[in-house]
Amino acid sequence: MKHIVVAGGSIAAATAVSTLRAHGWDGRITLVTDEETPPYSRVPLSKGVLSGALDRGSVTLPALPDDVDVHLDTRATALDVQTRTVTLSRGTDLRYDGLIIATGSRPRRLAPDGRQGELVVRTLADAAAINARLRTARSAIVVGAGFLGMEVASTLRATGLAVTVIDRDPPLRRLTGHWLADIVTAAPAETGVDFVLAPRGVTLTGDPVTGVATADGQTLTADVVISAVGDIPNIEWLHNSGLRLAEGVVVDPWCQAAPSVVAAGDVATRQIRPDLYRRTPHWTNAVLQGRLAALNLLGVREPYAPDHYFWTEQFGLNIKIAGELPLQGTPILLEGDPSSRSLLAQWHRAGRPVAAATVNLPLPIVRLKRLATVAVERS
Amino acid sequence: MKIETNRAACEGHGLCEQTAPDIYALDEQGYVYVRVPEIPPGLEASAEAGARVCPVAALQVRR
Repeated sequence: MKHIVVAGGSIAAATAVSTLRAHGWDGRITLVTDEETPPYSRVPLSKGVLSGALDRGSVTLPALPDDVDVHLDTRATALDVQTRTVTLSRGTDLRYDGLIIATGSRPRRLAPDGRQGELVVRTLADAAAINARLRTARSAIVVGAGFLGMEVASTLRATGLAVTVIDRDPPLRRLTGHWLADIVTAAPAETGVDFVLAPRGVTLTGDPVTGVATADGQTLTADVVISAVGDIPNIEWLHNSGLRLAEGVVVDPWCQAAPSVVAAGDVATRQIRPDLYRRTPHWTNAVLQGRLAALNLLGVREPYAPDHYFWTEQFGLNIKIAGELPLQGTPILLEGDPSSRSLLAQWHRAGRPVAAATVNLPLPIVRLKRLATVAVERS
Repeated sequence: MKIETNRAACEGHGLCEQTAPDIYALDEQGYVYVRVPEIPPGLEASAEAGARVCPVAALQVRR
């Protein structure tokens, strides 16, 4: 294998490149990304970058090795696995010996195509666009009360905006279950964020967008309207490739999609059951899959096993969760207590530990992950 | 090569240690420290790989 092409430029792609070199592979690497910047962390985009507390430099990851040929502002537009060719939006097509697909995903939008003004948080440019509006904006609506939506709400509230969060379900509950969601949402209630429940969904109003209307007839307006309603994998360029697609590039336990083609990160999906596929669009998983995809491309057969680890920071709470989401039922409290908002808790199913979480409590991550699988002696 | 750590930014997610356990470790509070002041040449690519997975960009590579 002489030439590996990496399609995509975020953390799965960067980790795959790092892994190829750390493993001693010294062939030619070409990375193609539609972004205008080399790899950066998206994690602070909903936090310090949005508020302006952090500048671009503080999210920039260490540069890729000098000998990697990076094409910025360039999109992979088609794949031919027979001739092993990736077509680009500009420049010469690339022939590869090995291909790593890490084209990620993009935010799901609620407004119809062509409607202006719906804001999202995915890229540096997205965060900068919202930040630019903060100079004059007084109010914000955030659609979606998952981790991202709640982080955005927290950040905007801290900058002084009046913030309304709207979702079909109570905040975070789909992800963390009642128990943890109730503890977390006690904090935003105190900081003055309004929650609106819209069980039958919302549509965005205005062009440019200036508000939302619920299916139950309630209307709300704000200076900025931000959607945080999930993501859509970037697979359109693969539609005629012959690769198996199921709302993502279907990969086997070795991150392989086809001979000499692997996929990693938000774009990759795994078959859980005959009728069920699952993407895991989180930082930890992108790192894990990026590494395994690169190793397996090099012939180091290492199977994927999910590393269920998630974190969020919002309303002054640092929350870390080990274990598969959603969390279900009432956990056992191992340290701290909900009223102090500093705690360690462990969830069980059928008498066995399945998840553990800390809120504002420093604990080495290895211990947290162990608590998600191993029972502790209770004193 | 040296790795510069921003301990104030570190949130203890441990991805650096998972990626390059020869270079990075977490202390008893769960925050990063670099095991070796000067990265040996054979481990430079690994040290860079570990720095590059930090979600808060708390690790910088200095040559």
